[in-house]
Amino acid sequence: MIRLVNVTKSYSNEVVALRDASFEVAKGEFVFLVGPSGSGKSTLLRLINRQERPELGEVWVAGRNIVDMPSNRVPMLRRNIGNVFQDYKLLTNKTVFENVAFALEVIGRPRHVIDTQVPTVLELVGLAGKEDRFPHQLSGGEQQRVSIARAFVNRPQILVADEPTGNLDPVTGEGIMRLLDRINTTGTTVVMATHDQRIVDSMRRRVIQLDRGVLVRDQSRGVYS
Amino acid sequence: MISRIGYLLRETGASLQRNITLTVAAIITAAVSLLIFGLTLVIQHGFDNLLAQWEGGVEMIVYVNAGVDDAQRGVIETALTQQEGITIDSWRYCDVTCSLGDADRLFAGDPQTRALLDATNIPTQFKVVPLDATEVDILSGLRDRYLELPNVNSVQLAEEQLDLISRLQGFVSTYTTGLWVALMAAASLLIWNTIRTAMFARRREIEVMKLVGATDWFIRLPFMLEGLIHGVAGGAIASGAMWFINDRWTAGVAEFPVNSGMTALVVVDGYEWRVAAILVAFGALVGTVGSGTAASRFLDV
Repeated sequence: MIRLVNVTKSYSNEVVALRDASFEVAKGEFVFLVGPSGSGKSTLLRLINRQERPELGEVWVAGRNIVDMPSNRVPMLRRNIGNVFQDYKLLTNKTVFENVAFALEVIGRPRHVIDTQVPTVLELVGLAGKEDRFPHQLSGGEQQRVSIARAFVNRPQILVADEPTGNLDPVTGEGIMRLLDRINTTGTTVVMATHDQRIVDSMRRRVIQLDRGVLVRDQSRGVYS
Repeated sequence: MISRIGYLLRETGASLQRNITLTVAAIITAAVSLLIFGLTLVIQHGFDNLLAQWEGGVEMIVYVNAGVDDAQRGVIETALTQQEGITIDSWRYCDVTCSLGDADRLFAGDPQTRALLDATNIPTQFKVVPLDATEVDILSGLRDRYLELPNVNSVQLAEEQLDLISRLQGFVSTYTTGLWVALMAAASLLIWNTIRTAMFARRREIEVMKLVGATDWFIRLPFMLEGLIHGVAGGAIASGAMWFINDRWTAGVAEFPVNSGMTALVVVDGYEWRVAAILVAFGALVGTVGSGTAASRFLDV
């Protein structure tokens, strides 16, 4: 599903964010990206959804090398990748329903599809009955559930999550992880960057560890360190 | 498709409301600059009316008394023909119908005077193109000679009338064109800045849209429509103001003395409606270009 081949990415100030990284993620896998701040986790996720392009190497997603993909085809790629962020990135002037519907609306899904899919996904993430609330009326965990609902409502093949539990207390974080695990069981590939040792150790999934841009460990059913 | 159009209209409406101050400023600036553009066109058309009888290099008009027969007119024709190739390049006779047509344009702003002229009393004209229009002495000599011919009512040289009008036309043309170009650039920049501000205000929304797979055109279109609305609204306001000013000017010109030379400086032939359409179209163009440029430039907010 995802394959990186000798990928190197550096920024203009000569900082090398990723150096000669190669790995492959199979369809339906759940992978943790771990490592200290600045180790290249977020850069790796941004490479997967083509927010960044590497200087060297190949990035294959769903069977296509996306490095030289024409910019007008990138939106189609992103419709197959859901994104979850530490700060949720919810639209504060829209309700829960509207935030989730927005992801379908802007890719031109018809109204009847939106009216069917949004309640279903809100049910899945445990937010049924809270459709009309605004983000500021929700807890942090609930806001992250809205963010996950928005990422998953289009049934993407891949879901990338950048520190989705970073702003949450341990109990709420566990709830979010159960939700991501549940999404993973539907066949969606999940790649999640995290600092949360407790979560990584308890789930025992594949762990890819980065250190200053270098892939130092790739372990199936691994632990944080 | 319907949901996309609904989204487009909803987002455009929301953005216009959110930026109400900048929206009003952009529309007013566009309206003022388009109004000056429209007035420039209308004034130029008025000058064209004023100079209509001198079109085609005509430098001298010999007015013939109303009611002359062919033989009497032939005397004047002979005198003109004798000078062909010597001082006169060409001449043409403007009969009653042609002269009434000239009167329609010359007295467009003075319908009462125009109503006094008809086929029985209007002087017909010989319009003369000289070999060298700069030879003022030769033209003056010709005028004196033709004034002595029987049935010649009067002889008018272009120089006497054209000098002032040409200078006025040049002044209006140069300064108003410069002014509207500068103001149009200001309006375009203001629309550009309004769209940039609107995009910055919605940067999080745009970021989410890009991440969930919205195309760049889908993101751009509401902003471009917003700019289009600025331009069209500016053009519509300018058209209304131009119509009002033209109407007041036309009513005012009717009060001027007949010999003021200003009675033709009006636009009453429907040209003002064509200018109104041009203003709206031009406003739409400026609005779309300004907003389209900003929407492309600042998409990566």
